[in-house]
Amino acid sequence: MFDVWKNVLAEIEQQISPANYSTWFAETSLLSTEDGEIKIGVKNSFHIKQLKTRYLDMITTALKNNNVPIKNISFEIKSLSKPKTRSREVFISNEVLKNRLKKIQKTNKESSAVQQTGLNNKYTLANFVVGSNNDLAVSAAKSIIDAPGTRFNPFFLYGGPGLGKTHLVQAIGNELIARNPDFKILYTPIADFYSDFIDAVRNGKGKEFNRKFRKLDCLIIDDFQFIMNKEQSQEEFFNIFNDLYQLNKQIIVTSDRLPNQIKSVDERLASRLTWAGAFDLQLPKFEDKCAILRTKAELMGYEIEPEAIEYIAENVNTNIRDLESEFSTIIFTSEVRGLTPLELINKGSVNINRPSKLRPASSKQIVEKVAKYYNLSVKEMCSKSRVANIKTARQVAMFILSKELSLSTNKIAAEVGVQDHTTVMHGIKKIENDLKLNFSLRDQIEEIKEKIYG
Amino acid sequence: MKIKVSQEKLSKALNNVSRIAVGKVTLPILNNVLIRVDKKKVSLITTNLDLAIIDYLPVSSSEDGVITVPAKLLAEFINNLPKGESIEFSTKDTKLTISAGKYSSIINGALADDFPEIPEINEKNAIIYKITTDEFKNSLNQVLIASSNDLTRPALTGVFFNTNDNTLAIAATDGYRLAEKKLIDKVESEVKAIVPSSSLQEVLRSISDDAEEIEIAFNDDLVRFRFGEVEIISKLIDASFPDYQKLIPKDNNISVKLNREELTRITKLAALFSRSVGGSIVCETKSPDKFSVKSIANEFGENDSELEANIDKEGKINLNSRFLLDALNALEEKEIIFSFSDRIAPILLKNKKDPKYTHIIMPLNS
Repeated sequence: MFDVWKNVLAEIEQQISPANYSTWFAETSLLSTEDGEIKIGVKNSFHIKQLKTRYLDMITTALKNNNVPIKNISFEIKSLSKPKTRSREVFISNEVLKNRLKKIQKTNKESSAVQQTGLNNKYTLANFVVGSNNDLAVSAAKSIIDAPGTRFNPFFLYGGPGLGKTHLVQAIGNELIARNPDFKILYTPIADFYSDFIDAVRNGKGKEFNRKFRKLDCLIIDDFQFIMNKEQSQEEFFNIFNDLYQLNKQIIVTSDRLPNQIKSVDERLASRLTWAGAFDLQLPKFEDKCAILRTKAELMGYEIEPEAIEYIAENVNTNIRDLESEFSTIIFTSEVRGLTPLELINKGSVNINRPSKLRPASSKQIVEKVAKYYNLSVKEMCSKSRVANIKTARQVAMFILSKELSLSTNKIAAEVGVQDHTTVMHGIKKIENDLKLNFSLRDQIEEIKEKIYG
Repeated sequence: MKIKVSQEKLSKALNNVSRIAVGKVTLPILNNVLIRVDKKKVSLITTNLDLAIIDYLPVSSSEDGVITVPAKLLAEFINNLPKGESIEFSTKDTKLTISAGKYSSIINGALADDFPEIPEINEKNAIIYKITTDEFKNSLNQVLIASSNDLTRPALTGVFFNTNDNTLAIAATDGYRLAEKKLIDKVESEVKAIVPSSSLQEVLRSISDDAEEIEIAFNDDLVRFRFGEVEIISKLIDASFPDYQKLIPKDNNISVKLNREELTRITKLAALFSRSVGGSIVCETKSPDKFSVKSIANEFGENDSELEANIDKEGKINLNSRFLLDALNALEEKEIIFSFSDRIAPILLKNKKDPKYTHIIMPLNS
């Protein structure tokens, strides 16, 4: 009987606007249909009045279409949004508890392996969500797992913070160990590599340090960008790198930018790191973000409505780490308040920081701020000058105007004083392409945005 | 539709109704005010689907019709027109043209068909009470302080209108304290209904000085407050209010008559030192003639102040200073009765003469 109501609602949803549907019908239920006496549960008397006067015909027709006999339709106040017993922890049975404890003990045991390899077994390929933002890197990772030390050696992986670099390389390490238990793997952030090296030299154990690394079958270096200005360790790293490479051992390096953009990285090293190509992790697109959240919800056993997932995905535009932390916050708040995530969002109790939508600046402000950032006057920047820095500033202004205010290219052309909207299209495209590789440009644009909204 | 009306009247009515027309993203039309002229009767209506405010506008001339326009925009536009200006509204499709002397503007509105229907009180079986606005306002303020905003316990987020022994009373509690005020004696019809505190706050904000009497009408699941030109219709809370009469202590064996102002002063002093312990203070009766309020010693120091009082029996009790201050603020007379028990029982506070107002506070564990 109650499935009938779902059909009825689906039919009504087709006929009225989403706003009206979610306001008037989302919280209705069918209480009884006995002897043609239809009873519908609604939120409050305002809803009764509205449904009776505006939607009674629609409801009657939809019920008839679903073969429900009708004599009379009445409404009753019955709120569906009463706090559900979602705080499942309270009602846990002993059995479940035991199982959970077992799980915890198990992971405790396994994590002792962390000390030797530096790998954390929570990172696996199975819980790494593949999307258009990272599929190349993932397929390379898979081919490394199948045949380490061959085609993608060294494997250089780069991308902004919180996009999954550490996850992916640790997953490679974990998979390699799973397949070849005798494999000697070491995962180390470059900073640890550096401090270990200093210690070793200080204690006169430089040779041992060297030997330890040369015995490895796979070396994973994380956060390589922090090698900056540490020339001695760079030299040591370079030597180890060369030796391992000669022996066809797998080397994996991550960084937030390409090696040639890291100041003070030796050119020889820089070119060698990207010998087999550089793979990047990009910002996830909307679909990717939804997929990530769905996987996370599934893994952690949370119930969350697709609409809520879409809301989060749409509003978090920074990186995956922020996406997950926002997700966890919402789940946590929803459990505490006893509301579903979607109810929470609809009540407006969810505040996702989104500076880019907070205070839309005017196009004039943006042009001024960009010009100021590059130490130009607005007149200079919006001139026809083809001097490189002025041209770049102009293109950055076009890019920001287009991204932040979604202005048409014609309008942007007028704002920055160029003749033709195709020039604007070219400018935006240029910046978009440069952004993929040029990290200082990325930083610059972030700084300008901060100034605009700050 | 056509209306001709003075700026003052229109501005006042719009400011009143536009307050609740905010922030419903789910149904944008709720940001609008519905302006309806029906047989020379002009009404301005807004709703947030928990309550509706209707303001009947006295106009000098009008023509029937209906439109909805953004409430805040219209209110602010009218507010900024010079006082004394005569304003004319006229509509064409969904556009509202406003002209007033040299000023004119056109506001894009929406079809009234999309505006929700406002439920009405069925006059035939409604239970109706009448009371002066002053007394109602005062009583509401005395009771609302004790209501809760904990949404997980819906019954406590409202004020309970109930009849007991032919007396209409209002009561509210947040689980730590309770306030009750007897409103009307010798009523004939009975009622038990919880009105959302948020709706009552709107009633308080809407009552203007020129309305003398307020009419309260209850229906199955609605309440309507009518005063002056304004009607406020609110949903009721669908929950059951605790049987609070049982909570009011009948046999507190320690009872002291105290000067309200002096007690307020020394409670505030003690409260200064009790912030770090959640406002907890100790009240103590000392024979033969001292009532003391002191803070529990902590890192900031301590405080102990005394009042002159007639003491029959010695005893002491811990309570939250903020709750005591709220209660003292809600009491009105110069002298009040403070009573408690040496067993675990709530503290009872009353005016010395007028028995209508009752305030009880749960003691803290010492």
